[in-house]
Amino acid sequence: MITVIVIALALCAVVLFYMAVRSRRKHAVQSLRQVDLAAFHTLLDRDDELFLKRKLSRSKFIGIKRHRIRVTVRYVARIASNASTVLHASEAARLSPMPQVALTAAQVMDLAAQIRLQCLLAMFKLSLEYAMPSLQLTPAMLVPAYQTLRENVRRLGDLQTQNSVPLANAI
Amino acid sequence: MPVGSLIHDLWIASIALQVMLTATLLVKRAWRKYPMFSAYVFFTLFETAATLPSHRLGSAYFYTFWICEAIGIVLGLAVVREIFTNIFAPHAALRRLATIIFRVAVVALIVLACGAIYEQSASAKSFARVVMVSTDGTRIVELGLIMFLFLSSSAFGLHWRQNEFGIALGLGTCAAVELINVTLMTHLSAEAEQVLSLVRSLSFNGSLLIWLGYLLAPPERPTTPVDVPRAQLEQWNQAVMELINR
Repeated sequence: MITVIVIALALCAVVLFYMAVRSRRKHAVQSLRQVDLAAFHTLLDRDDELFLKRKLSRSKFIGIKRHRIRVTVRYVARIASNASTVLHASEAARLSPMPQVALTAAQVMDLAAQIRLQCLLAMFKLSLEYAMPSLQLTPAMLVPAYQTLRENVRRLGDLQTQNSVPLANAI
Repeated sequence: MPVGSLIHDLWIASIALQVMLTATLLVKRAWRKYPMFSAYVFFTLFETAATLPSHRLGSAYFYTFWICEAIGIVLGLAVVREIFTNIFAPHAALRRLATIIFRVAVVALIVLACGAIYEQSASAKSFARVVMVSTDGTRIVELGLIMFLFLSSSAFGLHWRQNEFGIALGLGTCAAVELINVTLMTHLSAEAEQVLSLVRSLSFNGSLLIWLGYLLAPPERPTTPVDVPRAQLEQWNQAVMELINR
């Protein structure tokens, strides 16, 4: 039995390495996609959900809630992807000889990393809600955190000679 | 072409590749940034040099080979640790959580390795078999940790630097094939065993080529083109209103 598990582990590893190489090639050009925070906020609004619950039948509500969760997942994935791109883009600035730039870049990276963690947690909560639509586990912290990230990226852009305000606008 | 002579040719090729890799590490001064990986590569070359003269001396070769294998595995684990440190060093927010998960992964893999050793211990009658079973266990830990590195960096959205990706990929490929080789060795016929040895030699050469390729490739430039699609709020609201008014 253990022998089978070990062989399966080794084969899984080979597949994982192949996928990692493919994904690295695919993401050689990283893409930023703007997030409409107002729309995202609306999706997370529990009053909105209660309104739908009152107005719709149970089966329709479950259907629409699952649809809503699918849309939310896409937003969370986009936020996670943007946070990852910001992490990567700020790495060079973190090594800047200008202390203010280096400090702000470190703060941006820290925040982006925290957002990535929150996205993982949000995905987990949304999966649970999808399985059990009666649950209400809002990933509400993401909206203010992402807004702060935008502001910090903008501040970093202002500090750098090579202005990266477009990056702040893009996320 | 007989499999035996093919394995021999691959062995000669591996020596040439190891010399080239050592030279690359020295010329590019990569040993400063990756001391453990450099130690691993230097040691592998030393292992080849040390086992070469004792090739025809049965027991001397056996002990030299297995002692070198044990040191090589320890260095391999140190390389995994080095990559882990390098990847998470700039990310203080993730480092703590990643370290905890890393430790949990180490414990889980040690348990799996102990299970594998226990299962095979009944057939371990000779010293050679005991050594092989132990190697199997340590390879499980090594490969599992490399997989953890790939999975965690993907989950946290971390970007691998080119060299670190190459080091992990080469080490992982080699460890995966070694693990299959060591696990299946006793279950196969002599002919199949020889084919497995050929695969092992190919994978080792492949790993050397991966390391050389990633070390010699020009450094990548970060690019961040912007792709801004239209917002979905209006669409969403319209869909909801249609459903409510239906």
